[in-house]
Amino acid sequence: MKKLLISFALAALSATAAQAADAARGKEIFMKVGCYQCHGTVGQGANTGPKLAPEPLALESFVAFVRNAAATQMPAFSANMVSDAEMADIHAYLSSIKPPPAFKDIPLLNNP
Amino acid sequence: MGKSEAGVNRRKFLTAAAASSAAAVAAPQATSEANAAPLPTHALPPSAAQMEAEIGEPQLIPAAVTSAGPGARPGSDFMVDVLRALDIDYVATNPASSCRGLHESINSYAMNKKPELLTATHEEIATAMAHGYAKVSNRPMGLLFHGTVGIQHATMAFYNAWADRAPMLVMSGNHMDAAHRPPGVPTTHAAQDPLALIRDFTKWDDQPQSLQACAEAMMRAHKIAMTPPYGPVAISLDAHLQEGFTDASLKIPKLTRVSPPSADIEALKEVARMLVGAQNPVIVVDRGARSHRFQPLLVELAELLGAPVVDQMGRQNFPSHHPLNGTDRARGTIGAADVILGLELADFWGVVNSYSDVAEPKQGRRLKDSVKLVSINSRDVFMKANYQDFQRFQDVDLAIAADAEASLPGLIEMVKSAITPEFRSAADKRKTTFGAAGIKQRERLLSVDATYGWDASPISSARLSAELWAVIKEHDWALVSRDVRLSNWPHRIWKFEKPWQFIGDSGGAGQGYGLGAAVGAALAHREHKRLVVNIQGDGDMMYGPGGIWTAAHHNIPLLTIMHNNRAYHQEVMHVQRVGNWRDRGVGRASIGTTIENPHINFAMMAKSMGVEGIGPIGDPKDLGPALRRAVQIAKAGEPVLVDVLTQPR
Repeated sequence: MKKLLISFALAALSATAAQAADAARGKEIFMKVGCYQCHGTVGQGANTGPKLAPEPLALESFVAFVRNAAATQMPAFSANMVSDAEMADIHAYLSSIKPPPAFKDIPLLNNP
Repeated sequence: MGKSEAGVNRRKFLTAAAASSAAAVAAPQATSEANAAPLPTHALPPSAAQMEAEIGEPQLIPAAVTSAGPGARPGSDFMVDVLRALDIDYVATNPASSCRGLHESINSYAMNKKPELLTATHEEIATAMAHGYAKVSNRPMGLLFHGTVGIQHATMAFYNAWADRAPMLVMSGNHMDAAHRPPGVPTTHAAQDPLALIRDFTKWDDQPQSLQACAEAMMRAHKIAMTPPYGPVAISLDAHLQEGFTDASLKIPKLTRVSPPSADIEALKEVARMLVGAQNPVIVVDRGARSHRFQPLLVELAELLGAPVVDQMGRQNFPSHHPLNGTDRARGTIGAADVILGLELADFWGVVNSYSDVAEPKQGRRLKDSVKLVSINSRDVFMKANYQDFQRFQDVDLAIAADAEASLPGLIEMVKSAITPEFRSAADKRKTTFGAAGIKQRERLLSVDATYGWDASPISSARLSAELWAVIKEHDWALVSRDVRLSNWPHRIWKFEKPWQFIGDSGGAGQGYGLGAAVGAALAHREHKRLVVNIQGDGDMMYGPGGIWTAAHHNIPLLTIMHNNRAYHQEVMHVQRVGNWRDRGVGRASIGTTIENPHINFAMMAKSMGVEGIGPIGDPKDLGPALRRAVQIAKAGEPVLVDVLTQPR
C-alpha cells in the first residue's frame, strides 16, 4: 500500500514537473551533475553506462531508477542533489535527442 | 691513447671536478708517474693496476684500473661487448654523469650501432618505450639511467613493466667509492643500495664489483628477465668500472637460451580429462601470448574443445571475430561454464567473484561451487610481497605453476588423446551455436549501438573507431594501446587476427605509459613497415609528451590519435560517485579532475616537436579526411598526431 502511494505521488509530481520541463535547461543539468560522464553527452551509452536516448524510459520510471540506483553500480541521485523539476528537465533533454541515422545510411558500419 | 696520457687526463679531470685538497694531492703523483723512466722490457712490469695499488690512491676495486696499460681498454667498451653478446639492439637513455662512460662507449666504440642509443626526455618515457618494444619484439631493450635520479624518475614505469611481465635490462650508474667520487652533486646522487627502490618490482638486480662480475651479472639478468614470467631486471654499473681501464683477460659468458617452465605431463592429462568431461568448458586468458606462437595454439585448443574464449586482452591472445570469442559476452559465458581454464590470469578471483564499488561494497562468488577451476600461470613460479599486483587469492581445483604458452602444445595433445566422438560432436555443436549468437550480437552492436551518437560532437568512440578502421584496414596495421577507454569499440569493429596486432595495456595502470610504450612498440614494428596506431589518452599524454620528440628524432613512424576528453575521466567518475554516496552534490566533481581552461592543443604540441599535428577535430564530418591524411604521413615513415575531441568513453 505504501509503495502504491509513493508511486501515485511520484507520478503526480512527475506529471506536474513534466509540464514545465525545459530541454535546454535539462542539457545543462545533464552536463553539470555528470550524467554525461558515464552515458555520453547525448546519452548514447558506453561501457560505463547504458544508452539513455533516444527513447528514454518513461519519466516516472526514469526518476524512480535514478533515485534508487544504489542496487546497481550507478550512484543514486537524491532530490537533494537533483530535484524533481531538474529531473524532468533532464528527461526533456533526453526526449529531445533525435534518433541516429539509420544503419543502412552509415556505410562505415555496413562494410566494416 | 698511451698509459701516461690516460693517467694524466683522468687526474686532471678529477682535480677539476673535485676541486678538493685530496684531488690536488693526487695530481702531482700522477705527473711524477707519467714522467717516470720506462721499465726494462725483459722484466715483468707491474700493471697499471698494481702500480696504483702500490703507490697511487687506494683501489678498492682492483679489477678495473684508472689508467690504461698496453692492451688496456675502457671498462665500458667491455660492457658494450656484453650488450652485443646479449643481442641488445637498442638502449634508451636520458643522459647522466654516472653512466657517461658507457654512454661514450656506445657512441664511439659501438659507433652507435648495436646497441643504438635512443634519446628520451624522461626516464619514465624511456622505460615505457622498453615496455612497448618488448611486447612486440619479444626481446628486451636496454635502459641506461643515472643511478638515483634516473631510477627514481622511472619507478612507476618499472612497476607497470613488472605487473605486465615485460622484460627489460636496466643499467644505472653509481659512485660507490666515497674516497674517489666527485663531491657535491655526484655524491648526492650516489647510493649504497641504489636499486633497493625498485627491488619490490624487478625480478632481480645486482651491483657487480668487477668487470668480470659485470659480464656475469648482465648475462644472469638477461636470463632471468627472459624466463617466464618475464620481468624487468636491473644492474648498477659503478662509474669506476665504466671509466676505468682493463687489461685483464675477461670472459663473456655465452648467451643462455631459456626453456620456459612447462606443465607436468600428468597434470596436463588431468586438465584434459576435466575439459573433455565438461558440458560447457570455457577458457579465460589474460597475458597468455608471450610470442606469436600463442594465438594459433589457443585457437586450436578452443576449437578442439568447442570452448568459448573470454579474452581479458592482456595481449593479442585470440582473434576478435573468431566464432568462439566470448569477450563481449563474458559474464554470460563464464556464468554458463562448468569448467574454467584460466591462462596467465592476473586476477582469477575477479573471474569467479563479483565486487560492486558502491557505498557499502558488495562482493561474493558469482559462480556455483561445483564449477571446476584450473589455472596455468607462470605467476605462480615467481612472486613477490609488498605490492599487491598478485591480487586476491582464488582457490582452484588444479593450479599448474607453468608458462601457458609453453604448456599449450602438451595440453592440446592430451585433449586430442582424451576426446571421444560424442565430445567431438558436442564441441562442434557448441561452436556453431556460440558462433551464431556472436554474429547476432555483433550485428546488433554495429546496426544499433554504434549508431547512437553517430553525429555527436564531441565525437563518439564508435564513430572514431569506425572512421579509423576505414583508413587502416587495407594496411598491415597494429594497435599499440588499450581500447577499453573507447568502450572497446576498436575490438568490436576492427578485425584483430594477426598475433602482432595488439599488446594489451600498462599492467600497473599507472599513467605515463601510453605514448612511451607506443613509441617503443612502433620502433619494433618499424622494420616490418607496419602502420602503427596509438589511441592516446590526454591525461596520460601529459605525463610524458616528450615521447613525441623521441619519435621524431629517431624517425619512428607512428599514428597517434588523441582520445581527448579533456579530463582524467576515470577520476571524474570516482569523485562523483563518492559525492553521491555522501549526498552532497556532484557539481564539483570536475574540480581537480578535468583538463580544461585552458584547453591543450595537442596538434600544436606535436608541431613544436617536429611532428605533423592535425586538429583539434570536434566535428565528426572532418574526421575521415584528417585520418586519411595522417595515414599517408605515417606510411611515409613519419610520426603524426591527430587531436580528436572525444566523448568521455
